[in-house]
Amino acid sequence: MSVDVPLTPEQKQAIAASSGGGTGLPDVANPDKAFADITRNEYLDYVKNYRGFEEGVLDTAQSDTSLIDDAKENAANAQGLMSGVANRNASRYGVNLTPAQLQEQERGLTRANSLGYSQTLNDARINQKKINQETVADLINIGQGVNRSSLGQLQGAANSATQRKNAYDSARAASKAQTYSTIGGLGAAAIFALAF
Amino acid sequence: MGSSPKKSEYKATPAEKASAAVAMAEHKYFKEKYDPLLQKERDASMNDDSARVLKSRANADTMQTLAGKASYDRAATAASGGDEAQAYQAQLGQAATTGLDIKNKRKLAVLGAARGQQSDASGFMTSAANMSASRALTKAAAKQTERSAKTAMLGQIGTAVLKQGIKNKLSKGKELGADNDTGEMQYERGSFFKSAGSGGGIGARLNHTGYFNTNPFPD
Repeated sequence: MSVDVPLTPEQKQAIAASSGGGTGLPDVANPDKAFADITRNEYLDYVKNYRGFEEGVLDTAQSDTSLIDDAKENAANAQGLMSGVANRNASRYGVNLTPAQLQEQERGLTRANSLGYSQTLNDARINQKKINQETVADLINIGQGVNRSSLGQLQGAANSATQRKNAYDSARAASKAQTYSTIGGLGAAAIFALAF
Repeated sequence: MGSSPKKSEYKATPAEKASAAVAMAEHKYFKEKYDPLLQKERDASMNDDSARVLKSRANADTMQTLAGKASYDRAATAASGGDEAQAYQAQLGQAATTGLDIKNKRKLAVLGAARGQQSDASGFMTSAANMSASRALTKAAAKQTERSAKTAMLGQIGTAVLKQGIKNKLSKGKELGADNDTGEMQYERGSFFKSAGSGGGIGARLNHTGYFNTNPFPD
């Protein structure tokens, strides 16, 4: 059973390109070099596009106080806001409060707001600490992965260097052996010649 | 003697070429389509306004509750609205916490993806380095084999020359008559470079030796 899937213009273009002898695929003459270029460019791209961002996140995770600042601002707003609500309600229901009542109302609001402020500020401090710690932990996790990968990379480079050195040493030894063997053969033949 | 290896015999197979071409095309596609997406997400995470949206909602929720609770009784008894002030602060605090959490997680997701990408690239770099190293080693080994072969060849030629020289010197030619003292028959002796009894040029001498005779049907 065949299913007709509508093709996008790009897909149609790719099919047209591939049906005309060419495949539409790039020709990779030197995969080794292409590979090295891509990996190098990936790193440079990271440095260009994400290094600053990463440093910003790292810095913020260790010094962010936005929740605490926000809690302070909210407390200041809440006092005026709730005072306004009480005044509007009194006006709406036609209630005339005595100066003593008004004073008591203001005092009650201030007291409650202060308690609320303390509560919210403490919560904000705890939450801020929790969020910052979680962010740092996640960052460390990412960093660990990067570090692990870097060490693996170094290990690979070290292995390659050792392999190269060993190969050089053994090749040099083989060459010396070959030379001595040749000299020996020539010497033996010369001795044989001189003997007669 | 075998012919030297042809470079053309070591070229990539069609499968390898296709694999490299497809990989390159996929990489190009990724860079064109997904990389900008990640950069866009990076910028969006920095300007994430989840906290603002959540706080607006918390504010609206609080005000809605307060408006619903409004009554003459509360207004007449000079209720301060302190409880509501506390609720308002708590609601906004909660909203800010959730908003910051969302923002941070979004940033970390971007960073994780970017770092993961870079980590993959680093891993590939090791592979690339390994590939280059093994290629360099193969090349060095091939050169060494060539050098050894040259040395061995020189040795073989030198030994052959010496052996031939010795053989030449030991060769006997025409009889020269008996020795006066010992009575032994004396023969014409060859020199290092010339066998006794051989005539002609170097070709004839070499032919005489048999060392360099490549004639498959010798006399």
